Amino acid sequence: MTSKVYVALRVKAAPERAFAAFVQEIGAWWRPNGLFQTTPRAPGVLAFELGEGGRLTETLESGKVFEIGRISAWEPPSRLVFSWRQANFPPDLHTEVEVRFEAVGEGETRVSVEHRGFDQVPAGSAARHGFPDEALLMRLAEWWRGLLTSYRDTSA
Amino acid sequence: MTAGFRSALFYQDPKAALAWLEKAFGFELTMLLEDAEGNVAHSQMSFGNGYVMIGQEWSADHKSPKSVGGKNTQTVNIQIETDIDAHFERAKAAGAVIVAAPETQFYGDRTYRCSDPEGHIWTVSQTVQAVSREEAEAASGLKITGWL
Repeated sequence: MTSKVYVALRVKAAPERAFAAFVQEIGAWWRPNGLFQTTPRAPGVLAFELGEGGRLTETLESGKVFEIGRISAWEPPSRLVFSWRQANFPPDLHTEVEVRFEAVGEGETRVSVEHRGFDQVPAGSAARHGFPDEALLMRLAEWWRGLLTSYRDTSA
Repeated sequence: MTAGFRSALFYQDPKAALAWLEKAFGFELTMLLEDAEGNVAHSQMSFGNGYVMIGQEWSADHKSPKSVGGKNTQTVNIQIETDIDAHFERAKAAGAVIVAAPETQFYGDRTYRCSDPEGHIWTVSQTVQAVSREEAEAASGLKITGWL
């Protein structure tokens, strides 16, 4: 078993549009967070390479490209799974993010994000900021809620 | 976050409660934190513009009614906008124990009460008619202040 952080909200768009906005416009709706820095540099621009095996990359101001993760499940318009690692993670640690798009109501989609395994960030790691599990997971959940809200208001 | 009230409810089996509350009342899970053993550390379910937090019994003073002989010391009121009788049937079909069937009250709301699988009592209300303060006072014999 691993820990899970789950957040969900509704967007006023069909699943096809919601899925496309998530993967194609992540550069526009993404909001970096100092607690979950992907690299030690200033935040760059995120982008997915579309399709299974595609990378989630962050292009820094210097032009350098950091690989955050890879897509392991590509099932438009209902499901997307990708790995997530930050530069300050131990080398063998990969966490996983699953995004689901479920049609609800009239022309609405329920978009949920489940981020698994973040409790495996070891005690003492810079990625943990000294937080015990519950505080760390709560901060992660609040960040994802903010990200989904931005995604809803910006793109979906 | 804006200022306001919200309630936390405690269950022996919070995961079962999350599933049941969605099935019975149509609440939507909007946040869930699970530890590495799969225990619910925190959760939120939304309905309309409100939400409740569903959690485990986490101290000797935070108990499910199931652990204290079915006693409740407060209840959560669900306000709905349409078709309370259909809402009642849905809750009943999900296994809610009916405490009071739908009935129109003197103040203009139609309400029912039911208890969930661990004994939390929920009140459900829908405003079905506009009632003035004078009418409500005449119907109930109460002196009413603060009627809007």
